[in-house]
Amino acid sequence: MMRKVEEWKEGRCRLFHFEIGKIQDWKPVKDLLNWARAWSLWSVHLCTGCCSPELMAVACSRFDAERFGTLPFPTLRECDLLFILGVVSEKMAKRVKITYEQMPEPKYVIALGDCAISGGLWWDSHNVVQGVDKIIPVDVYVPGCPPRPEAWIQGIRLLQKKIMEGR
Amino acid sequence: MSIMRVRWGPQHPVSGQWAFWLDVDGDIVVNMEPDIGYTHRGIEKVAENRTYIQNVPVVERTSVFDAGNIVFGYVQAVEELMGIEIPERAKYIRTIVGEMSRIVSHLYGLGLLAIAVGFETMLMWFINDRELFLDLFEMLTGARITYSFFIPGGVLHDLPQGFYDEAMRRLDYFERRLKDYWKMFFLNRTFITRTRGVGVLKREDAIRLGVVGPNLRASGVEADVRKDEPYAAYDQIDFIIPTEKEGDAYARGGVRFHELEQSVSIIRQALKKIPDGKIRVKVPITPTPPKGEAYSRVETARGEIGYYIISDGSNRPYRVKISAPSFRNLLAMPFLSRNVPMADIPTIYLSLDLIPLDVDR
Repeated sequence: MMRKVEEWKEGRCRLFHFEIGKIQDWKPVKDLLNWARAWSLWSVHLCTGCCSPELMAVACSRFDAERFGTLPFPTLRECDLLFILGVVSEKMAKRVKITYEQMPEPKYVIALGDCAISGGLWWDSHNVVQGVDKIIPVDVYVPGCPPRPEAWIQGIRLLQKKIMEGR
Repeated sequence: MSIMRVRWGPQHPVSGQWAFWLDVDGDIVVNMEPDIGYTHRGIEKVAENRTYIQNVPVVERTSVFDAGNIVFGYVQAVEELMGIEIPERAKYIRTIVGEMSRIVSHLYGLGLLAIAVGFETMLMWFINDRELFLDLFEMLTGARITYSFFIPGGVLHDLPQGFYDEAMRRLDYFERRLKDYWKMFFLNRTFITRTRGVGVLKREDAIRLGVVGPNLRASGVEADVRKDEPYAAYDQIDFIIPTEKEGDAYARGGVRFHELEQSVSIIRQALKKIPDGKIRVKVPITPTPPKGEAYSRVETARGEIGYYIISDGSNRPYRVKISAPSFRNLLAMPFLSRNVPMADIPTIYLSLDLIPLDVDR
Protein backbone atom coordinates (compact mmCIF):
# COMPACT_ATOMS: atom_id res chain seq x y z
CA MET A 1 0.00 0.00 0.00
CA MET A 2 2.72 2.43 1.02
CA ARG A 3 4.59 1.61 -2.17
CA LYS A 4 1.51 2.48 -4.21
CA VAL A 5 1.20 5.84 -2.45
CA GLU A 6 4.86 6.57 -3.05
CA GLU A 7 4.45 5.70 -6.71
CA TRP A 8 1.38 7.87 -6.96
CA LYS A 9 3.23 10.79 -5.40
CA GLU A 10 6.12 10.44 -7.76
CA GLY A 11 3.74 10.12 -10.70
CA ARG A 12 4.80 6.65 -11.72
CA CYS A 13 1.36 5.07 -11.21
CA ARG A 14 -0.40 4.06 -14.43
CA LEU A 15 -4.06 4.79 -15.10
CA PHE A 16 -5.71 4.17 -18.48
CA HIS A 17 -2.39 3.95 -20.30
CA PHE A 18 -1.23 7.30 -18.94
CA GLU A 19 1.26 7.92 -16.21
CA ILE A 20 -0.47 10.16 -13.69
CA GLY A 21 2.51 12.50 -13.48
CA LYS A 22 2.45 12.96 -17.21
CA ILE A 23 -1.29 13.45 -17.61
CA GLN A 24 -0.77 17.19 -17.65
CA ASP A 25 1.30 16.78 -20.78
CA TRP A 26 -1.71 15.33 -22.61
CA LYS A 27 -2.86 18.19 -24.82
CA PRO A 28 -6.55 18.51 -23.82
CA VAL A 29 -5.63 18.45 -20.12
CA LYS A 30 -2.80 20.89 -20.68
CA ASP A 31 -5.07 23.31 -22.52
CA LEU A 32 -7.68 23.05 -19.79
CA LEU A 33 -5.11 23.73 -17.09
CA ASN A 34 -3.66 26.69 -18.95
CA TRP A 35 -7.13 28.10 -19.55
CA ALA A 36 -7.89 27.83 -15.84
CA ARG A 37 -4.59 29.40 -14.85
CA ALA A 38 -5.00 32.31 -17.26
CA TRP A 39 -8.37 33.33 -15.84
CA SER A 40 -7.50 33.13 -12.16
CA LEU A 41 -4.32 35.14 -11.80
CA TRP A 42 -4.29 36.18 -8.17
CA SER A 43 -1.65 38.76 -7.47
CA VAL A 44 0.64 39.17 -4.47
CA HIS A 45 0.33 42.41 -2.57
CA LEU A 46 3.94 43.57 -2.57
CA CYS A 47 4.46 47.31 -3.09
CA THR A 48 8.02 48.01 -4.13
CA GLY A 49 7.77 51.56 -5.44
CA CYS A 50 5.47 54.36 -6.47
CA CYS A 51 3.13 52.62 -8.92
CA SER A 52 0.82 51.69 -6.04
CA PRO A 53 -1.75 54.52 -6.54
CA GLU A 54 -2.54 53.04 -9.93
CA LEU A 55 -2.90 49.59 -8.36
CA MET A 56 -5.89 51.00 -6.50
CA ALA A 57 -7.39 52.40 -9.69
CA VAL A 58 -6.91 49.06 -11.43
CA ALA A 59 -8.35 47.01 -8.57
CA CYS A 60 -11.40 49.26 -7.98
CA SER A 61 -14.57 49.51 -9.95
CA ARG A 62 -13.72 51.92 -12.76
CA PHE A 63 -11.06 49.83 -14.48
CA ASP A 64 -11.75 46.66 -12.54
CA ALA A 65 -9.06 44.14 -13.41
CA GLU A 66 -11.09 41.56 -11.51
CA ARG A 67 -13.21 40.96 -14.62
CA PHE A 68 -10.08 39.36 -16.10
CA GLY A 69 -9.62 37.26 -12.99
CA THR A 70 -6.85 39.33 -11.39
CA LEU A 71 -7.49 39.94 -7.73
CA PRO A 72 -4.97 41.34 -5.23
CA PHE A 73 -4.75 38.77 -2.48
CA PRO A 74 -3.08 38.97 0.93
CA THR A 75 -1.54 35.50 1.20
CA LEU A 76 1.26 34.80 -1.22
CA ARG A 77 0.97 31.03 -0.78
CA GLU A 78 -2.21 31.10 -2.85
CA CYS A 79 -1.04 33.56 -5.48
CA ASP A 80 0.43 32.97 -8.91
CA LEU A 81 1.13 36.49 -10.14
CA LEU A 82 3.66 38.98 -8.82
CA PHE A 83 3.37 42.64 -9.82
CA ILE A 84 6.62 44.56 -9.46
CA LEU A 85 5.20 47.99 -8.68
CA GLY A 86 7.91 50.34 -9.83
CA VAL A 87 11.37 51.02 -8.47
CA VAL A 88 13.21 48.18 -6.67
CA SER A 89 15.89 49.32 -4.23
CA GLU A 90 18.79 47.18 -3.01
CA LYS A 91 17.06 46.49 0.29
CA MET A 92 13.76 45.60 -1.38
CA ALA A 93 15.51 43.35 -3.93
CA LYS A 94 16.17 40.67 -1.29
CA ARG A 95 12.50 40.70 -0.26
CA VAL A 96 11.34 40.50 -3.87
CA LYS A 97 13.51 37.42 -4.33
CA ILE A 98 12.22 35.81 -1.12
CA THR A 99 8.62 36.56 -2.10
CA TYR A 100 9.14 35.06 -5.54
CA GLU A 101 10.73 31.92 -4.11
CA GLN A 102 7.89 31.43 -1.64
CA MET A 103 5.19 31.53 -4.30
CA PRO A 104 3.97 28.12 -5.53
CA GLU A 105 4.46 27.02 -9.13
CA PRO A 106 3.31 28.04 -11.71
CA LYS A 107 4.18 31.68 -11.10
CA TYR A 108 4.29 34.69 -13.37
CA VAL A 109 5.81 38.14 -13.03
CA ILE A 110 4.73 41.44 -14.57
CA ALA A 111 7.22 44.31 -14.28
CA LEU A 112 5.38 47.63 -14.18
CA GLY A 113 6.93 50.98 -14.82
CA ASP A 114 10.17 52.20 -16.32
CA CYS A 115 12.03 51.82 -13.03
CA ALA A 116 11.26 48.10 -12.82
CA ILE A 117 12.23 47.57 -16.46
CA SER A 118 15.57 49.36 -16.61
CA GLY A 119 16.04 51.71 -13.67
CA GLY A 120 14.20 54.49 -15.50
CA LEU A 121 14.51 57.86 -13.81
CA TRP A 122 16.99 56.42 -11.31
CA TRP A 123 19.57 55.29 -13.88
CA ASP A 124 22.37 56.91 -11.87
CA SER A 125 21.08 56.27 -8.36
CA HIS A 126 23.31 54.49 -5.86
CA ASN A 127 20.59 52.35 -4.31
CA VAL A 128 18.36 51.21 -7.17
CA VAL A 129 18.49 47.85 -8.96
CA GLN A 130 18.73 48.64 -12.67
CA GLY A 131 15.91 46.41 -13.85
CA VAL A 132 14.11 43.76 -11.83
CA ASP A 133 14.98 41.04 -14.39
CA LYS A 134 18.44 40.93 -12.81
CA ILE A 135 16.85 39.29 -9.75
CA ILE A 136 13.86 37.28 -10.97
CA PRO A 137 12.56 36.19 -14.41
CA VAL A 138 9.94 38.54 -15.87
CA ASP A 139 7.12 37.54 -18.23
CA VAL A 140 5.60 40.85 -19.32
CA TYR A 141 7.02 44.38 -19.22
CA VAL A 142 4.62 47.33 -19.06
CA PRO A 143 6.28 50.73 -19.62
CA GLY A 144 5.08 54.05 -18.22
CA CYS A 145 5.74 56.09 -15.11
CA PRO A 146 3.37 54.94 -13.70
CA PRO A 147 1.64 52.88 -16.45
CA ARG A 148 -1.93 53.89 -17.18
CA PRO A 149 -4.58 51.43 -15.99
CA GLU A 150 -5.38 50.57 -19.61
CA ALA A 151 -1.73 49.66 -20.24
CA TRP A 152 -1.73 47.69 -17.00
CA ILE A 153 -4.77 45.67 -18.10
CA GLN A 154 -3.23 45.11 -21.54
CA GLY A 155 -0.22 43.65 -19.74
CA ILE A 156 -2.49 41.23 -17.91
CA ARG A 157 -4.17 40.25 -21.21
CA LEU A 158 -0.78 39.67 -22.84
CA LEU A 159 0.20 37.40 -19.97
CA GLN A 160 -3.06 35.46 -20.33
CA LYS A 161 -2.39 35.00 -24.04
CA LYS A 162 1.10 33.78 -23.23
CA ILE A 163 -0.20 31.27 -20.68
CA MET A 164 -2.92 29.97 -22.99
CA GLU A 165 -0.39 29.42 -25.76
CA GLY A 166 1.54 27.21 -23.35
CA ARG A 167 4.22 29.69 -22.22
CA MET B 1 4.22 35.92 29.58
CA SER B 2 7.14 35.95 27.22
CA ILE B 3 7.39 38.68 24.63
CA MET B 4 7.38 37.64 20.99
CA ARG B 5 8.86 39.63 18.13
CA VAL B 6 6.64 39.77 15.06
CA ARG B 7 7.54 41.16 11.67
CA TRP B 8 4.88 43.12 9.81
CA GLY B 9 5.67 43.71 6.14
CA PRO B 10 6.86 44.55 3.54
CA GLN B 11 4.74 41.79 1.96
CA HIS B 12 1.57 42.54 3.89
CA PRO B 13 -1.82 43.94 2.80
CA VAL B 14 -1.62 47.09 4.91
CA SER B 15 2.11 47.54 5.38
CA GLY B 16 3.01 49.44 2.23
CA GLN B 17 6.67 49.69 1.29
CA TRP B 18 8.14 49.19 4.74
CA ALA B 19 8.10 46.86 7.71
CA PHE B 20 7.45 47.07 11.44
CA TRP B 21 8.96 45.06 14.23
CA LEU B 22 6.27 44.45 16.83
CA ASP B 23 7.05 43.13 20.32
CA VAL B 24 3.81 41.48 21.36
CA ASP B 25 2.72 40.18 24.75
CA GLY B 26 -0.25 38.01 23.86
CA ASP B 27 -2.34 40.35 21.76
CA ILE B 28 -0.96 43.58 23.21
CA VAL B 29 1.83 45.40 21.40
CA VAL B 30 4.39 46.58 23.95
CA ASN B 31 6.93 48.07 21.55
CA MET B 32 7.09 48.90 17.89
CA GLU B 33 10.03 49.75 15.67
CA PRO B 34 9.64 50.91 12.09
CA ASP B 35 12.08 49.40 9.59
CA ILE B 36 12.38 51.99 6.84
CA GLY B 37 14.55 52.33 3.76
CA TYR B 38 12.85 49.94 1.34
CA THR B 39 12.25 52.66 -1.23
CA HIS B 40 15.35 54.77 -0.69
CA ARG B 41 16.17 56.01 -4.17
CA GLY B 42 18.60 58.74 -3.16
CA ILE B 43 16.47 61.59 -4.46
CA GLU B 44 18.60 64.20 -2.73
CA LYS B 45 21.81 62.79 -4.24
CA VAL B 46 20.32 62.26 -7.70
CA ALA B 47 19.03 65.85 -7.66
CA GLU B 48 22.61 67.13 -7.44
CA ASN B 49 23.41 65.56 -10.81
CA ARG B 50 20.51 67.05 -12.78
CA THR B 51 19.74 70.56 -13.93
CA TYR B 52 17.07 72.58 -12.15
CA ILE B 53 14.34 71.77 -14.70
CA GLN B 54 15.28 68.08 -14.89
CA ASN B 55 14.86 67.92 -11.14
CA VAL B 56 11.12 68.63 -11.29
CA PRO B 57 10.12 65.01 -12.10
CA VAL B 58 12.79 63.72 -9.71
CA VAL B 59 11.46 65.52 -6.63
CA GLU B 60 7.91 64.68 -7.72
CA ARG B 61 8.68 61.00 -7.03
CA THR B 62 9.04 61.89 -3.32
CA SER B 63 5.33 61.27 -3.12
CA VAL B 64 3.40 60.60 -6.31
CA PHE B 65 0.14 60.49 -4.35
CA ASP B 66 0.26 64.25 -3.95
CA ALA B 67 2.34 65.23 -6.97
CA GLY B 68 1.02 68.79 -7.26
CA ASN B 69 1.97 70.08 -3.83
CA ILE B 70 5.29 68.23 -3.65
CA VAL B 71 6.69 70.01 -6.71
CA PHE B 72 5.16 73.30 -5.52
CA GLY B 73 7.78 73.74 -2.80
CA TYR B 74 10.74 72.88 -5.00
CA VAL B 75 9.65 75.27 -7.75
CA GLN B 76 9.10 78.07 -5.26
CA ALA B 77 12.58 77.59 -3.79
CA VAL B 78 14.16 77.77 -7.27
CA GLU B 79 12.18 80.93 -8.02
CA GLU B 80 13.39 82.46 -4.77
CA LEU B 81 16.98 81.63 -5.75
CA MET B 82 16.58 83.24 -9.17
CA GLY B 83 14.49 86.16 -7.94
CA ILE B 84 11.56 85.53 -10.27
CA GLU B 85 8.06 86.90 -9.66
CA ILE B 86 5.50 84.71 -11.42
CA PRO B 87 2.36 86.09 -13.15
CA GLU B 88 -0.92 86.30 -11.26
CA ARG B 89 -2.70 83.78 -13.51
CA ALA B 90 0.02 81.19 -12.91
CA LYS B 91 -0.48 81.58 -9.16
CA TYR B 92 -4.17 80.80 -9.50
CA ILE B 93 -3.58 77.79 -11.75
CA ARG B 94 -1.04 76.51 -9.22
CA THR B 95 -3.58 76.93 -6.44
CA ILE B 96 -6.21 74.99 -8.39
CA VAL B 97 -3.80 72.14 -9.19
CA GLY B 98 -2.51 72.06 -5.60
CA GLU B 99 -6.00 71.76 -4.14
CA MET B 100 -7.05 69.10 -6.65
CA SER B 101 -3.93 67.21 -5.70
CA ARG B 102 -4.88 67.51 -2.03
CA ILE B 103 -8.35 66.09 -2.74
CA VAL B 104 -6.88 63.16 -4.68
CA SER B 105 -4.43 62.41 -1.88
CA HIS B 106 -7.02 62.65 0.91
CA LEU B 107 -9.44 60.39 -0.97
CA TYR B 108 -6.67 57.82 -1.30
CA GLY B 109 -5.84 58.11 2.41
CA LEU B 110 -9.47 57.83 3.49
CA GLY B 111 -9.94 54.84 1.21
CA LEU B 112 -7.05 53.08 2.92
CA LEU B 113 -8.44 54.03 6.34
CA ALA B 114 -11.75 52.47 5.28
CA ILE B 115 -10.07 49.23 4.33
CA ALA B 116 -8.14 49.21 7.62
CA VAL B 117 -11.43 48.81 9.46
CA GLY B 118 -12.70 46.35 6.85
CA PHE B 119 -15.09 48.66 5.04
CA GLU B 120 -14.48 47.76 1.40
CA THR B 121 -17.49 49.59 -0.02
CA MET B 122 -16.05 52.92 1.04
CA LEU B 123 -12.71 52.05 -0.55
CA MET B 124 -14.54 51.64 -3.86
CA TRP B 125 -16.41 54.93 -3.37
CA PHE B 126 -13.35 56.97 -2.49
CA ILE B 127 -11.14 55.55 -5.21
CA ASN B 128 -13.89 55.96 -7.80
CA ASP B 129 -14.49 59.60 -6.92
CA ARG B 130 -10.75 60.14 -7.09
CA GLU B 131 -11.07 59.38 -10.80
CA LEU B 132 -13.20 62.55 -11.22
CA PHE B 133 -10.16 64.64 -10.42
CA LEU B 134 -7.68 62.40 -12.21
CA ASP B 135 -9.72 63.04 -15.37
CA LEU B 136 -9.49 66.78 -14.74
CA PHE B 137 -5.73 66.43 -14.35
CA GLU B 138 -5.58 64.53 -17.61
CA MET B 139 -7.54 67.31 -19.33
CA LEU B 140 -5.26 69.99 -17.90
CA THR B 141 -1.83 68.39 -17.89
CA GLY B 142 -2.02 65.24 -20.01
CA ALA B 143 -1.13 62.83 -17.22
CA ARG B 144 -3.15 61.13 -14.51
CA ILE B 145 -0.80 61.04 -11.56
CA THR B 146 2.71 62.20 -12.38
CA TYR B 147 2.15 65.49 -14.20
CA SER B 148 5.32 67.55 -13.85
CA PHE B 149 3.15 70.59 -14.35
CA PHE B 150 4.93 73.29 -12.37
CA ILE B 151 8.19 74.67 -13.73
CA PRO B 152 10.35 77.50 -12.40
CA GLY B 153 8.66 80.61 -13.80
CA GLY B 154 5.06 79.44 -13.97
CA VAL B 155 3.07 76.46 -15.22
CA LEU B 156 3.30 74.44 -18.42
CA HIS B 157 -0.16 74.85 -19.96
CA ASP B 158 -3.07 77.25 -19.70
CA LEU B 159 -6.51 76.02 -18.63
CA PRO B 160 -7.97 74.23 -21.68
CA GLN B 161 -11.23 75.19 -23.35
CA GLY B 162 -14.24 73.97 -21.40
CA PHE B 163 -12.22 73.33 -18.26
CA TYR B 164 -14.31 75.74 -16.18
CA ASP B 165 -17.64 74.05 -17.00
CA GLU B 166 -16.24 70.56 -16.63
CA ALA B 167 -14.61 71.36 -13.30
CA MET B 168 -17.77 73.01 -11.93
CA ARG B 169 -19.90 70.06 -13.03
CA ARG B 170 -17.58 67.62 -11.30
CA LEU B 171 -17.34 69.74 -8.15
CA ASP B 172 -21.15 69.88 -7.91
CA TYR B 173 -21.30 66.11 -8.14
CA PHE B 174 -18.47 65.72 -5.66
CA GLU B 175 -20.18 67.96 -3.12
CA ARG B 176 -23.28 65.80 -3.26
CA ARG B 177 -21.07 62.78 -2.74
CA LEU B 178 -19.43 64.38 0.31
CA LYS B 179 -22.81 64.38 2.08
CA ASP B 180 -23.15 60.68 1.30
CA TYR B 181 -19.67 60.05 2.71
CA TRP B 182 -20.61 61.69 5.97
CA LYS B 183 -23.77 59.64 6.33
CA MET B 184 -22.35 56.36 5.12
CA PHE B 185 -18.84 56.46 6.60
CA PHE B 186 -18.43 58.94 9.42
CA LEU B 187 -21.80 58.26 11.07
CA ASN B 188 -21.38 54.51 10.66
CA ARG B 189 -21.45 52.78 14.01
CA THR B 190 -18.83 50.19 13.11
CA PHE B 191 -16.41 52.85 11.94
CA ILE B 192 -16.96 54.96 15.06
CA THR B 193 -16.41 51.97 17.34
CA ARG B 194 -13.22 50.97 15.56
CA THR B 195 -11.67 54.46 15.51
CA ARG B 196 -12.99 56.47 18.50
CA GLY B 197 -10.36 56.52 21.23
CA VAL B 198 -7.84 54.59 19.14
CA GLY B 199 -4.37 56.13 18.89
CA VAL B 200 -5.07 59.23 20.95
CA LEU B 201 -2.41 61.89 20.34
CA LYS B 202 -2.76 64.67 22.87
CA ARG B 203 -2.05 68.29 22.00
CA GLU B 204 1.21 68.56 23.97
CA ASP B 205 2.47 65.19 22.67
CA ALA B 206 1.73 66.21 19.09
CA ILE B 207 3.73 69.41 19.50
CA ARG B 208 6.57 67.62 21.31
CA LEU B 209 6.88 64.92 18.63
CA GLY B 210 6.83 67.48 15.83
CA VAL B 211 3.80 66.07 14.06
CA VAL B 212 2.60 68.15 11.09
CA GLY B 213 -0.41 68.52 8.85
CA PRO B 214 -3.88 67.05 9.41
CA ASN B 215 -2.54 64.89 12.24
CA LEU B 216 -1.49 68.00 14.17
CA ARG B 217 -4.79 69.73 13.40
CA ALA B 218 -6.71 66.71 14.67
CA SER B 219 -5.00 67.27 18.05
CA GLY B 220 -6.34 70.80 18.30
CA VAL B 221 -3.43 72.88 16.99
CA GLU B 222 -4.41 75.35 14.28
CA ALA B 223 -1.28 75.28 12.14
CA ASP B 224 -1.36 75.49 8.37
CA VAL B 225 1.28 77.01 6.09
CA ARG B 226 -1.47 78.21 3.76
CA LYS B 227 -2.62 80.60 6.53
CA ASP B 228 0.60 81.17 8.47
CA GLU B 229 2.74 82.08 5.49
CA PRO B 230 0.46 82.39 2.43
CA TYR B 231 1.98 81.41 -0.88
CA ALA B 232 0.55 81.41 -4.44
CA ALA B 233 -3.01 82.80 -4.34
CA TYR B 234 -4.00 81.61 -0.87
CA ASP B 235 -3.94 85.13 0.58
CA GLN B 236 -6.76 86.20 -1.78
CA ILE B 237 -9.04 83.27 -1.00
CA ASP B 238 -10.99 82.80 2.19
CA PHE B 239 -11.10 79.39 3.77
CA ILE B 240 -10.93 78.00 7.27
CA ILE B 241 -8.57 75.45 8.81
CA PRO B 242 -10.62 72.53 10.14
CA THR B 243 -9.46 71.29 13.54
CA GLU B 244 -10.64 68.65 15.99
CA LYS B 245 -9.94 68.32 19.70
CA GLU B 246 -9.90 64.58 20.31
CA GLY B 247 -6.73 63.60 18.47
CA ASP B 248 -7.83 60.00 17.83
CA ALA B 249 -8.10 58.09 14.57
CA TYR B 250 -11.66 59.29 14.01
CA ALA B 251 -10.62 62.93 14.42
CA ARG B 252 -7.78 62.50 11.93
CA GLY B 253 -10.23 61.06 9.40
CA GLY B 254 -12.68 63.87 10.17
CA VAL B 255 -10.09 66.60 9.59
CA ARG B 256 -9.32 65.10 6.20
CA PHE B 257 -13.01 65.01 5.35
CA HIS B 258 -13.50 68.67 6.29
CA GLU B 259 -10.40 69.58 4.29
CA LEU B 260 -12.06 68.04 1.25
CA GLU B 261 -14.95 70.49 1.69
CA GLN B 262 -12.54 73.39 2.07
CA SER B 263 -10.58 72.33 -1.02
CA VAL B 264 -13.76 72.24 -3.10
CA SER B 265 -14.59 75.77 -1.96
CA ILE B 266 -11.03 76.99 -2.71
CA ILE B 267 -11.13 75.54 -6.25
CA ARG B 268 -14.50 77.20 -6.89
CA GLN B 269 -13.26 80.60 -5.70
CA ALA B 270 -10.00 80.31 -7.65
CA LEU B 271 -11.82 79.35 -10.86
CA LYS B 272 -14.15 82.34 -10.51
CA LYS B 273 -11.46 84.87 -9.56
CA ILE B 274 -8.78 83.78 -12.04
CA PRO B 275 -7.41 86.80 -13.94
CA ASP B 276 -6.31 86.88 -17.57
CA GLY B 277 -2.70 87.21 -18.54
CA LYS B 278 0.46 85.21 -19.08
CA ILE B 279 0.95 81.79 -17.53
CA ARG B 280 4.73 81.95 -17.20
CA VAL B 281 7.66 84.31 -17.40
CA LYS B 282 10.55 83.52 -19.70
CA VAL B 283 13.17 81.37 -18.00
CA PRO B 284 16.13 79.82 -19.89
CA ILE B 285 15.93 76.07 -20.48
CA THR B 286 18.90 75.50 -18.17
CA PRO B 287 18.48 78.15 -15.47
CA THR B 288 21.68 79.21 -13.71
CA PRO B 289 20.73 80.92 -10.44
CA PRO B 290 23.34 83.06 -8.69
CA LYS B 291 25.24 81.79 -5.65
CA GLY B 292 23.02 81.55 -2.61
CA GLU B 293 20.49 79.49 -0.74
CA ALA B 294 16.73 79.37 -0.47
CA TYR B 295 14.13 77.73 1.74
CA SER B 296 10.50 77.30 0.88
CA ARG B 297 7.68 75.51 2.59
CA VAL B 298 4.22 74.53 1.43
CA GLU B 299 1.34 72.60 2.93
CA THR B 300 0.97 69.23 1.25
CA ALA B 301 -1.87 66.83 1.95
CA ARG B 302 0.20 65.14 4.68
CA GLY B 303 1.60 68.31 6.20
CA GLU B 304 4.33 70.82 5.78
CA ILE B 305 7.16 70.04 3.37
CA GLY B 306 10.36 72.09 3.35
CA TYR B 307 12.92 72.45 0.56
CA TYR B 308 16.36 73.86 1.24
CA ILE B 309 18.41 74.44 -1.91
CA ILE B 310 22.01 75.67 -2.09
CA SER B 311 23.28 76.96 -5.41
CA ASP B 312 26.99 77.31 -6.26
CA GLY B 313 26.36 79.36 -9.39
CA SER B 314 26.31 76.43 -11.85
CA ASN B 315 23.27 74.99 -13.62
CA ARG B 316 22.94 72.13 -11.11
CA PRO B 317 22.02 72.53 -7.43
CA TYR B 318 24.82 72.00 -4.92
CA ARG B 319 22.43 70.48 -2.39
CA VAL B 320 18.71 69.80 -2.24
CA LYS B 321 17.44 68.94 1.22
CA ILE B 322 13.86 67.74 1.52
CA SER B 323 12.19 67.66 4.89
CA ALA B 324 9.21 65.44 4.20
CA PRO B 325 5.94 65.39 6.19
CA SER B 326 5.58 61.63 6.58
CA PHE B 327 9.03 61.39 8.13
CA ARG B 328 7.94 63.76 10.87
CA ASN B 329 4.62 62.02 11.38
CA LEU B 330 6.47 58.70 11.60
CA LEU B 331 7.73 59.65 15.07
CA ALA B 332 4.16 59.47 16.36
CA MET B 333 3.77 55.88 15.17
CA PRO B 334 5.93 54.05 17.80
CA PHE B 335 4.54 56.42 20.44
CA LEU B 336 0.92 55.55 19.62
CA SER B 337 1.54 51.82 19.16
CA ARG B 338 2.43 51.14 22.77
CA ASN B 339 0.00 49.01 24.81
CA VAL B 340 -2.63 48.72 22.09
CA PRO B 341 -4.17 45.54 20.67
CA MET B 342 -2.53 44.31 17.51
CA ALA B 343 -5.77 44.77 15.56
CA ASP B 344 -5.55 48.52 16.09
CA ILE B 345 -2.13 48.85 14.42
CA PRO B 346 -3.55 49.16 10.85
CA THR B 347 -6.04 51.77 12.01
CA ILE B 348 -3.33 53.84 13.71
CA TYR B 349 -0.93 53.49 10.80
CA LEU B 350 -3.43 54.40 8.09
CA SER B 351 -5.10 57.17 10.09
CA LEU B 352 -1.70 58.91 10.32
CA ASP B 353 -1.64 58.66 6.50
CA LEU B 354 2.04 57.73 6.37
CA ILE B 355 3.65 56.83 3.10
CA PRO B 356 7.04 55.12 3.07
CA LEU B 357 8.05 56.72 -0.26
CA ASP B 358 8.05 60.07 1.45
CA VAL B 359 9.96 58.79 4.49
CA ASP B 360 12.78 57.16 2.54
CA ARG B 361 13.08 59.59 -0.37
